[in-house]
Parts: sequence; structure tokens; C-alpha cells
Amino acid sequence: MLVHIDGPWSPLLGRLALTEIPYKNPILVGTFLFAVVLAVVLVGLTTYFGFWRTLWRDWLTSVDHKKIGIMYILIGLVMLFRGFIDAVMMRTQQAMAVGPHSAGYLDAVHGYLTPYHFDQIYTAHGTIMILFAATPLLVGIMNILVPLQIGARDMAYPYLNAVSLWLTAAGAALVMASLFIGDFAHAGWFGIVPVMELPYSPGVGVDYWMWAFQLSSIGTTLGGINLLATIVKMRAPGMTWGRLPIFTWASLSANLISLTTFPVVTVALALLALDRYLGTHFYTAGLGGNLMLYNDLFWIWGHPEVYFVILPAFGMISEIIPTFAEKPLFGYMGMVVASLGIAGVSWGVWLHHFFTMAAAPAVNAFFSITTMAVGIPTGVKVFNWAFTMFRGRLRFDLPMMWASAALFFLLVGGLTGMMNAFATNDYMVHNSVFVVAHFHMMLLLIVYAIFGGVNYWFPKVFGFRLEQRFGRMFFWLFTAGTAVVFVPMFTLGFMGMTRRLDYVAFPQWQPLLDIEVVGIVIYVLSAAFLVAQLYVSLRDRAQNRVGADAWGTSRSLEWITHSPVPFYNFAVTPEVHARDERSWRHERGLDDAAPVVYEDIHMPCKTAIPLGLGALGFGLAFALVWRIWWLALLCSGAIVALIVIRAFMTGTSYTIPARDVEKMEHDRKRGAAKPARAQVPGGSPAPVLGGGT
Amino acid sequence: MRGFLRWGRARAVDSGAGGRWPRGPAGIGARRILRWLWPGTLLTGCAPATTRATFWMLDPKGVIAATQTHYLALDVLVMLFIIVPTGALIIGIMRRYRGGRGGAYDAHWDHSNAIEAVVWGIPIITVGILSYYSVKAIYAVDPNRPAVISRAAAAHPGRPPLDVDVISTDWQWVFLYPQQHIATVDRLVVPVGTPVRFRLTSATVVNDFYIPQLVGMIDVMPGMRVRQALIASRPGTYEGFSANYAGAGFSWMDFETRAVGRGVFRAWVKKVQGGSRRLTYAQFERVARPTIDVSAHVSYYAWVEPGLFRHVVTEVRDGKTYPTPMAMTENMTAYLQSRAAQASAH
Repeated sequence: MLVHIDGPWSPLLGRLALTEIPYKNPILVGTFLFAVVLAVVLVGLTTYFGFWRTLWRDWLTSVDHKKIGIMYILIGLVMLFRGFIDAVMMRTQQAMAVGPHSAGYLDAVHGYLTPYHFDQIYTAHGTIMILFAATPLLVGIMNILVPLQIGARDMAYPYLNAVSLWLTAAGAALVMASLFIGDFAHAGWFGIVPVMELPYSPGVGVDYWMWAFQLSSIGTTLGGINLLATIVKMRAPGMTWGRLPIFTWASLSANLISLTTFPVVTVALALLALDRYLGTHFYTAGLGGNLMLYNDLFWIWGHPEVYFVILPAFGMISEIIPTFAEKPLFGYMGMVVASLGIAGVSWGVWLHHFFTMAAAPAVNAFFSITTMAVGIPTGVKVFNWAFTMFRGRLRFDLPMMWASAALFFLLVGGLTGMMNAFATNDYMVHNSVFVVAHFHMMLLLIVYAIFGGVNYWFPKVFGFRLEQRFGRMFFWLFTAGTAVVFVPMFTLGFMGMTRRLDYVAFPQWQPLLDIEVVGIVIYVLSAAFLVAQLYVSLRDRAQNRVGADAWGTSRSLEWITHSPVPFYNFAVTPEVHARDERSWRHERGLDDAAPVVYEDIHMPCKTAIPLGLGALGFGLAFALVWRIWWLALLCSGAIVALIVIRAFMTGTSYTIPARDVEKMEHDRKRGAAKPARAQVPGGSPAPVLGGGT
Repeated sequence: MRGFLRWGRARAVDSGAGGRWPRGPAGIGARRILRWLWPGTLLTGCAPATTRATFWMLDPKGVIAATQTHYLALDVLVMLFIIVPTGALIIGIMRRYRGGRGGAYDAHWDHSNAIEAVVWGIPIITVGILSYYSVKAIYAVDPNRPAVISRAAAAHPGRPPLDVDVISTDWQWVFLYPQQHIATVDRLVVPVGTPVRFRLTSATVVNDFYIPQLVGMIDVMPGMRVRQALIASRPGTYEGFSANYAGAGFSWMDFETRAVGRGVFRAWVKKVQGGSRRLTYAQFERVARPTIDVSAHVSYYAWVEPGLFRHVVTEVRDGKTYPTPMAMTENMTAYLQSRAAQASAH
């Protein structure tokens, strides 16, 4: 029944053998040593500061949406770093391997990466940046903000939220494991069939890619259900649909997409797994397989996924600009319609990812028009942001710098996007670096919005602002790096250069490839300023503490509660009176209004089960990659057992009595900036493991 | 500044290759504007002339490519008409209202029916216009039945089209000339001014057949047959390659396309037919074994088994694969070095 695999296999270790450890590759050995040193330093610091207990009680077992959000963002940042290193390697390899006479190092004939290694790097870069950097960063930000913006205490399903996090973490860990044990996929982040089929990818790389993808996509689907339920059911009194903050609208649109499309990719990858494990023929070229089926299924998820990551970015820009223009958002209803419109159109454009498959002209015409139609709501958003600034009082603090720069990326990305949507242009540039440069414009828009959003909401989450001087230098250097990398890349696209070349046959592209390397160097320099910004911010945090409204002109509901936000979010559930509730209260002098009556607060308990599910998910995926059947069965059984045990648990929540809430609020008023844990009533923190104290 | 010279030459009338051939609809002016607007023009303008800096996208040498470039320029100009004023508007507002210096600060202004009508109207109208041209362009260069090729062929009925069957392997291109019963590997030769009709398939995985200056990308898929067509307007040597990742040898998967006068083409066919090698299906299976063509090796076959193309499609549909050996994945270094040594020995 199982498909036959060439090469050694043992019942105990499956395909795993010592030869699968790439100890001969100096690049990977160096990376491994770096990882080991980093791990030792982290473990040492944790022990030195006695942080283990806090780490376990307050973070790893937490179901608090803010802490889960922060952990999502940390995963995203770590993977962003890894993806960036991949980018550095690709740029340097392409600049070194131009023409038949270019030198080769480290066993490579040209440059320093053999084709198979290079192919894994670009696949890892794409997979990581989309699934393990952009998605966790944005899901993390949505996790932190959505409950705060609608006046909820937590997500609708706090336990499920933690499960989503740890499944995503397991996926990310699997991608990292592939660095040191075996190989990663070489078939591109979206998986090129039939290259992914066994005859053309006999190793474990595609399996790593497939199972890491599955874990994170299941996590994101569950997260989508959670956010949707939260927005629909958990809004504070008075928070009507017409008053919903625009970022929450964007999150709603984005998660409508994730709920409806992530299951499609789950099925697409499950069929691929059947091909690779049971020898079925869903996507093979022969024996009744249909490789276009994979392309259709994948991109029915893949293109909406692009809007899943861009809509929250649009939402953040829509929150930042009004704050720093000191005006409400222009055309709120238009923005809502545009967000839902983008979500709606996203289901009808997937075929533009394979305009070149020689479909009938009517097919390409249809998808060309629907793709262009995305430009309508997007264009409306640009104009509305411009008119939000019109008649405003603009301040260019760091969040505003990132947000307003993002508008220009949208202009460039929009122009080039409309070029690609025009199907006959796509015939010319479909797999060229022009398309690569285009979607990097759109993803950089997201990166800019994320940096803007992190700078903007950081004081809300941590209670102090980030430093601005190094922050500005980071901004300008990062922007310079972007220009120096991507203007040459667009140009190379016009010169006809295609993607994914390990070796560049045409020497006329050399100068521009060299300029791209200069841009990469500027990016590396900019990262030093980011580190400096974070270091100085932490060092000087006492001087940068802020009150509830960190920017003085903030507008939405999250800015009425304390900074940092207490673990119960709001002392009493707020009554919402206006679209921009903070501004509404500010104008009526209600900034410091304290609640008259406190009430009991009902909160979820901490639990280690999600962490366990994540670990078992990793174990299952790892076992499947290496075909270690006993381990796969063991992990599956344990996962089912944990889910069942959790289902029968009682006492998974607890109540904070009203007088304790009042006492904590009074302590805060007196300026006692104590760590959050000390504020738990009676000094006994919430019980771990579903109330089994 | 070599690029500019090439640009100028591209439009010279080619009399030696059998008369004046259409280069797509008139759009040269738009193309020139686009070229001047492109910031990268400055960058490559500084490159040494020996690097042959050429904007293949903007320098078409065939009917299909010229039509595509024309519509590209049209699309960009329409978009710039919107994007540039919008960018200027944003910058203007940012400068004027910075710190409230623009006066007229209005803390509550968030709605205007007139402005909202305009901001919805402008993108709708733009998308409408571009959709019209997009559909027109799709039919003009539809690979199954390209209108511009049919029109050009109708204007010169005396030139029967040339058929070429293309089979991509791991990682080479096999070109079959069914009318001439010859075949080449990694070299395409076509007569100038004659419609060339391609049928394409793959013996292994998906590739994109792409000759930037002559014709756009088309997916070459195993077990399936797609069509493409081109007319070369000028004699010359044009680079062609696979644009879709196909495995370890993908970076070396290029072929030269020579567009020659019709007399030269006939002579070339005669010469190839005079050779001794025969491309049977068994020989094709040897050619299709995974090969990384680092030495840009070209082979010619004087005779081709009839129905070879169909045979390859049928075999693939029946489950034939050409598996990539492990030695070409993890341990391909040795393989590559031996190929490179062979190449330098030649």
C-alpha cells in the first residue's frame, strides 16, 4: 500500500540516518554553531535571571490573547531574520555566478551554492516570509488588537488561540529542523508540480515543506475561526457594526478569507501527501493525474492569502494616519466596503498565477478583468488616506513615517500590479524578476505597515514608547536599501531576467546584480539601527512611559485602558458611544472617568495542553517526513488523547472578585507600575493545566 | 549608451529578410516615452558597452513580441496618468498640512459625497479602459490562434507556415521539424518573415518556453500539448530559455534562436538532412535522460521517427517518467564538475 522509496529505511529510524546530517557543508555547520551558541546564551540568561518560572507560567502556558500575540510576533521576527539571511545568500550567489567563466567555491561550479542548495534557499525564503513571518506577525497583531478594539476580555476561544499559536510554532520549528537534518524542498514556495512528485523530488525536502505548511495552515484556520467568532460575538455594548474600528473591519475581512481558503490548501496538500506516500496519481503527469488541479487548488488559497496578509496592513495604516492627522478617517463606510470588496474579489482572481497555461482567451480575459478590479477598492483606499490627511494637522512621528511611506509602495505595487493583471504583459514577465520585484513592493508595504503598527501600539502593550532617533535612521536606511535592491530588479525584469536562476548565463545583467548586493548591504546596516533602537528603548524605558493614550491624539477604544494593558483588558466592560470612542470621551472630558461599580471578571485558566499539542504536532510531522511509522502512530494517539482529556476537564476558568479588580485599579492609579503577575489577587496566580491545582 | 542605439536600430526597415513585416500596432512613440521614464535606463546607461545591455522587453524583434510591447506601453501610460497625479496629491497634502500649517484644520471633516464619487469613479473608469485593451490584447496574441499572426500571414499568402514541435526534457529542448524530418537539441532556427507554428509538450516536468524578443512565455506541460506561434521580423540571434523552474539543471536550460533569411534556412535544412544521426524514440529516451547542459552543447538529427511528438505525449500519459537520480540532487557537485571539465575539453 505504501509507495516504495529507494534508499535505506529501518523500522526504528525510518529514512533517518547519520548521513542525512549535512556536517560536510561549511555553511550549514556555521549556521548550526551559531544556533548552538545562541541557544546556550539564551538558556544561560534565562537561568541567570531566574526567568524559567515566569517563562512557563506567564508565557508558555498562557492563554492571554496579548501574550499569545507577542509570542506570534516573536516567531515572526525570528523567521523574518532567517528569511532575510536566505535573501542575502540568493543575492550574493546570483551576483557571483554570472557567465561561464565565473569562479566557483565550496564545491559549486559557479558562485558558492550548488543548484540544489540554492533551490532550497529560495523555496525556504518564500515559504518562511509568507507563512512564518508575514502571517504570524499579522496574526499576532490581530490577536493583540482585536479584543482590545471591541472591548472584549479575551478571544472567544482562548484555549483554541493557544493551540493555533503552538501549531504555527511547530511548523516554524520543522522548517528550522530541515536546515540541520536532511533537506528542504527545492520546488518553490508554492510547490511546482510535478517537480514535487517522487520521481523528481526523491528526498525528504518536499515532505518537510508539506508538513510544515500543513501545521501552520491548520493553526491559521483555527485562528481565523477564533477571530471571526470574537468579532461577531464579543463586542462591548454599543459597539455596533457602524462603530467597529477600521482595523477590526480589516481583520474581519481577512479572516473571512482565511476561514474559506485555508481548508482548500489543506486539501491540496493532503492530496499531494497521498501521491507521495500511497502512490496515488492526483497531480502526476500520467496515469490520470492532473497537475493543473494542484495549481488551481493551491492558488484558490494562494491569492486570497495575499489579501489575508495585506488587509490587516491596510487596517493598520487606516488607524495610524487618523491619529497623526488628528482627524477621523475619511470615508469610513467606503473603507469598509473596500475591505470587504477586496476579500470578495480575492476568490475570483487565482488563475492569473498561470495566465501562461494557454487557456482559451475568454478564460484569461475573465481573470484579467477580475484581477484589475482589485485595483478599484485599493485605489479608493489610497485616495481616502490622502483625504484623511487633507485639512489635518500632520505629525510625522515614527508610526506615521512608516505608514505614509507604505502609501508609495502601494502606488508602485499598484502600477506594476496593473501591468501584471494585463494578461499579455504577464506573458512577457510571468516568471521574470519583474514579478518578483512587484510582489516584494506589496510585501514591503506590509512590512512598512507592520513596523508602523509595532511602533504605534508598542506603548499600549508594554507601557513605554520606542526610541525615535535610531528608529528614524533605521527607517531611512531600510528605505534606501529597498530602493537600491528593487529598482535594479525591476530593470532586470525589463531586460528579460527570469526567477530562480542559480547560474546567470547573460553577463549583461552583472552590473545590476552587483547593485542589488549593495542594497542588501544597506539592509544589513539598517538592521544594526533596529537593534540599537530596541536596546535604547529598553534602557531608557523609564523616561518613555506613557499613559492610556500614548500619542495624545489616538482615537479608538483600545486607548482608553491602561498602558500596558492589564491582563483583564478593561476594569469594567466599556460602553461604546462613538466610532472613535477615545476621541469622543476626550472631547467630553471623560479621559479619567473611573467606573462607579466594579464587577466580577470571568477569566480563562492557563493550560499547558496547547504547548503539548504543538510539540506532538511537530513530532508527528517529523515522523511522517522520515517515515518513522511507530512515532507517527504514537504522536497521533497522544494528540487524540490530549484533545479528549481536555474536553472532559472542568474548572478551566476562574473569577476575579470585584473588590480585587477595584484594588488593582487603585494600585495602578497610585502609579504602582508593578509587574502584571503581582497584581493577581491573593498572590496566587491563575492555576495551570485547566484548574487542576 | 549602447541600449539607445539598439533601440534605434530595432525600428530600421529590414529589406534583406523578405520585405517589410508588421511590428504590431503603431505604438513606438509610447514605447519611447516609457523608456525615458524608466529609472533603470540611467543605471544601465552607465554599464560598459561590452555587457550588451539590452531591454529585451522593450526591444521586440517579432510580431507577437511587438504587439505585447505595444500593449505594455499603453497600459503603463494609462496607469501613469493616474499614479503620477495621485502621488503628487499625496506629497502635496503631506507638505501642506504638516503641523497644521495649511490652516483650515477641521477636526471632524470625514465625509464628502462629491469626493467619494470621484475616488470611486476614477479607479472604475481606469479599470474599465484597461479591461477593454486587455481583452483586445489577449485575442491579438492568443497562443492558440494569434490574430496578429493570422493577419500577417493573410497579407503574404505565398509563405506557408513552418511547423516546429517542441519537447522539453530534463533539462534540454528538443526541436522537431516534421515537414523537414529533422531535429535539433538546444538550437532553434527559423526563417524570417514566415509564420512559425509550435506544438509543445514536456517529457518530464513543466517548463515555460520563452524567447523574450520574439514571443512570450507559454507553459510546456507533460502529457499535454499546447500551441504557440511567432513571426521573426529581423534576422538575428535571440536568446531563448525555460522561464519556469524545472529542477537542478534549470539555470542552464537555454537555447539560441537563429532567425535567418528564407534562403539561408533552406540551405541549413539541407545541411542537417545530410547528417547521419537518426532520432528514433529509443534515441529520444537517451536524450531525455536528466542532463545538465553546462556546455551549451547542440546536436542535430538528419532523420526523425514519424509521430515522435505524439509518441512522447502518449507515453507520458501512460505514466512514463524520467526520474531525477539522487546524484543530481544532494550530490550533484561531482556531476557538475565532470560536465564542466568536458565542456572545457571541447
